Amino acid sequence: MRAPLSSRIVVYGFSALLAAVCLFPFLWMIVSSLKELRELYTIPPSWIPQNPTLSNYATVLFSSNIPRYFLNSVVISLGSTALSLALAIFASYGFARFRFRGKAAAQSFVLVGQLLPTAAIIVPLFVTLRWLDLVNTYLGLILVYMIITLPLSVWMLTSYFKAIPVELEEAAIIDGASRMGVLFRITLPLSLPGLVAVTVYAFVTTWNEFIFALCFATDSSVKTLPIGLAEFTTEFNTDWGAVMAASMIMTLPVALLFLSMQRLFIGGLMAGATKG
Amino acid sequence: MTQIQRFASRLAFGASALAFITTTASAGEITWWTPNFNEARARELLTRFQTEHPDVTVNLEITTTNGLPERILTTLQSGAAPDLIDVQHPWVNNYAQNGLVIPLDDVLEAREDYNEAALDYVTWDDQLWGIPYRIEAIAVLYNRGHFAAAGLDPDSPPKTWDELLTTARTLTEAGHSGFAITGGGEVGNTIFRSLPFVWMNGGDLLSEDGTTAVINSPEAVEAVKFWTDMYVEHGVSPTSTLENDGTANRRLFIADQVSMYQSGQFDIASIQTENPNIDIGAMMTPHPEGGEPAAILGGWSWVVPTTAENPEDAKTLIRWLAQPENMGFFTDTFPARTSAMELPRFDDPMLQVFGEMLPYGRPLPTHPQYAQMAQAYFDGIQRILIGEQTAQEAMDLAAEDIQALLDQ
Amino acid sequence: MRRLPTGLLFALPALIVLLALIAYPVVYTGILSVTDGSGAFTGTENFRDVLSARMTPRAFTNTLWWVGGSIIFQVILGTAAAILLNQEFPGRGIVRAIAVIPWVVPGIVAATTWAWMFHTEFGIINYMLTGPGLMDEPVGWLTNPDTVMPAMIAINVWKLFPFVAIMVLAGLQSIPKDLYEAARVDGASFWEETRYITLPQVRPVLIAVTLLLVIWALNHVTTIYAITKGGPANLTLITPIQIFRLGFESFQFNQAAALSVIFFVIAMVIVALYIRFLASSGEVAR
Repeated sequence: MRAPLSSRIVVYGFSALLAAVCLFPFLWMIVSSLKELRELYTIPPSWIPQNPTLSNYATVLFSSNIPRYFLNSVVISLGSTALSLALAIFASYGFARFRFRGKAAAQSFVLVGQLLPTAAIIVPLFVTLRWLDLVNTYLGLILVYMIITLPLSVWMLTSYFKAIPVELEEAAIIDGASRMGVLFRITLPLSLPGLVAVTVYAFVTTWNEFIFALCFATDSSVKTLPIGLAEFTTEFNTDWGAVMAASMIMTLPVALLFLSMQRLFIGGLMAGATKG
Repeated sequence: MTQIQRFASRLAFGASALAFITTTASAGEITWWTPNFNEARARELLTRFQTEHPDVTVNLEITTTNGLPERILTTLQSGAAPDLIDVQHPWVNNYAQNGLVIPLDDVLEAREDYNEAALDYVTWDDQLWGIPYRIEAIAVLYNRGHFAAAGLDPDSPPKTWDELLTTARTLTEAGHSGFAITGGGEVGNTIFRSLPFVWMNGGDLLSEDGTTAVINSPEAVEAVKFWTDMYVEHGVSPTSTLENDGTANRRLFIADQVSMYQSGQFDIASIQTENPNIDIGAMMTPHPEGGEPAAILGGWSWVVPTTAENPEDAKTLIRWLAQPENMGFFTDTFPARTSAMELPRFDDPMLQVFGEMLPYGRPLPTHPQYAQMAQAYFDGIQRILIGEQTAQEAMDLAAEDIQALLDQ
Repeated sequence: MRRLPTGLLFALPALIVLLALIAYPVVYTGILSVTDGSGAFTGTENFRDVLSARMTPRAFTNTLWWVGGSIIFQVILGTAAAILLNQEFPGRGIVRAIAVIPWVVPGIVAATTWAWMFHTEFGIINYMLTGPGLMDEPVGWLTNPDTVMPAMIAINVWKLFPFVAIMVLAGLQSIPKDLYEAARVDGASFWEETRYITLPQVRPVLIAVTLLLVIWALNHVTTIYAITKGGPANLTLITPIQIFRLGFESFQFNQAAALSVIFFVIAMVIVALYIRFLASSGEVAR
């Protein structure tokens, strides 16, 4: 350990604080998912369930649509993540490495979809989807999610690409590499942390999206997890224990996924690059 | 429906018409959207319907309560609507005024058997735009144990406003919140609970001809003051009033914090399962001395969208569902037809008070801008509750906002 | 036909997909904003109606507070968390995974859980504060005019600062290590390293993240709508919620469209200014 003791204490102290802030409401959700219905709302509230129960998890796993929707969500989130990554990589490379007329306009245009209030675009978007005959299909939702995922993916990847010294690419081109070759052999490997960040973003965002899924996927063969959460609510009641249990089932896989991917946040990929 | 919407729906419709011929809906196939809490009963009814009408196939799609208005509006406006949708009464008029649903006068049988206020709700321009199947009215639930402990007689709950206030104070002194009002959540929660007080006192939101805002009339302000004072002046409503909706009040009742609160029969089952120790009582909503109770009629209707592919078969299904025994079976609370009330499931002493409230039920105004007026009124109530304004000031401002909407 | 610039060719697939999706919504919103319910042209009437509503200016002011408050804390806390998570220490992977949790929790569930924890009577927060006697009276976090907007901002910051942290953390990886080594040889302190190496190097990332955060905050509905619906007495009403109410609750599609257009234009101006500023200084920084 190269750091002196005092700075290690500081790092651990802040890490503990960070973890506490992030986990505090989450712990409350875990506790709630283990409580019986009648214990959920008590005054004073209790941190420890009196009769811890897994019945909420049983409800979610065996007598709700959550397992089926989980599958749908995986397909849709993976699909839209892959598509937006593919589109964004090319677009960002174009924005980061080339000057051309109308670049600023094109870059702002990418953001337009996010500047329109959701409430304003739902109806015409539905019409567009119907016109393409994509209502109630995986592809329809995957496409619609481009409005949400592309702006950030393009903008972030552009800034990550810009951080890579252009000299590295120029050297390769002098050695006879094509533009595509440069992009795939040099730029992408060097921006791996950025790609991970954008992938996680696209996945998380589509995983949790509610209003588009609600309006564009009305058949249970394409409904996603957030709709499953809404199904625990009836007119005058919500099965909060089940909602919390289902939220755990929605949240933990993504956190674990990130745990396995965070190793790819490696520094020093370009050590020495600036000296050359 | 605007031209652009009409154009859009035609465009969309035309483009996928070919696909439709091959993939879906031959005649005799309809799609019915019903909320998740109706699912089990709908499926059971449909099995029976299909044996009687083998030529009609019904696809049931289950909707969720969260986001339901958005989802229905989106489908109605974009021209991809199902054939039959379950909606709440107050929405029907807006759909009708925007040309999104078709008239159903030819579907209604035995008009005199229906609750009159329910039919008023879904009437616009002298035509009927929905068939009401479910109605309910809010009354007051109370904890009989708290009454006894505070030395009150659980068998004679308060009948007038004065008695309500005295009872609420006695219960509060005994350590609970005597009478919980709402001040948060969806606008409807507070409208359904406070506007009847205005009505009981002779006030209203709009004048009879619907051209003037009268919510700042002395009768209306007096009623609003009486209702909000439960929190502001007397503190018999919980400190969390401003963030509570009907559900939160039920939870406080279940947690033994609240002794009386306004609610419908839909809360009874939850209370019984979550806190079986509570001995529940129900009373009619107390009225001013010499007056009578009032309530807003709530509930659900069936509508057929303008863009439905198979409206005729949808009407056949509605006619069948609206038979008294089917309607009585289907409804979550009470049926809209008087004859269906004869069914044994409504012969429950716990339901008696709620049934007695029904004749006092009135519809909400059906002005096109009603939702914004309700919001203006609700904002006023909240200004009183946070202590920013008096009842008079808040209702003056609300009346000004509502008048501006009327004059638009 | 003239050959398209290479850069544009790269960007074209993404631009075409986006154009196909939003062309109709933009036209549709534009037309709705200048017509009435029957489709007749009304000029600026919808704009006048919506601008004359008492709550419109209030919603604008609230939106400014909401966006400003959210962004400042999200960026500062997110960057600080990223620098922390970039230190090497055992257990770092776990802390990183924990730090993404707020962002991964479904928005509506996070909002409802916070509403529950903030509740005056059921809430664990008041219980923890009054229990050991830190406070005498429970606080109405979501009902007191002084605390409700800060509470909403705090929830939004909690939800999204992990996102900033992840994005900045990725940016930190491209800083050459020899820069730090050189600085250490010169005896630079941690603060000097942060100020003169780390922050300038992640500047492009911070600029892009901030722009996107501004756009999201401008367009945010879930948190506030799920908890207060804009109340009490419109204290937390922001413009996107007003549009949502106008369209989906009040059936005023034309006014909602008019407000959307105004909102769109203002947001577009902000973005254009921002990009201009970025183009004039960002390119040089590279």
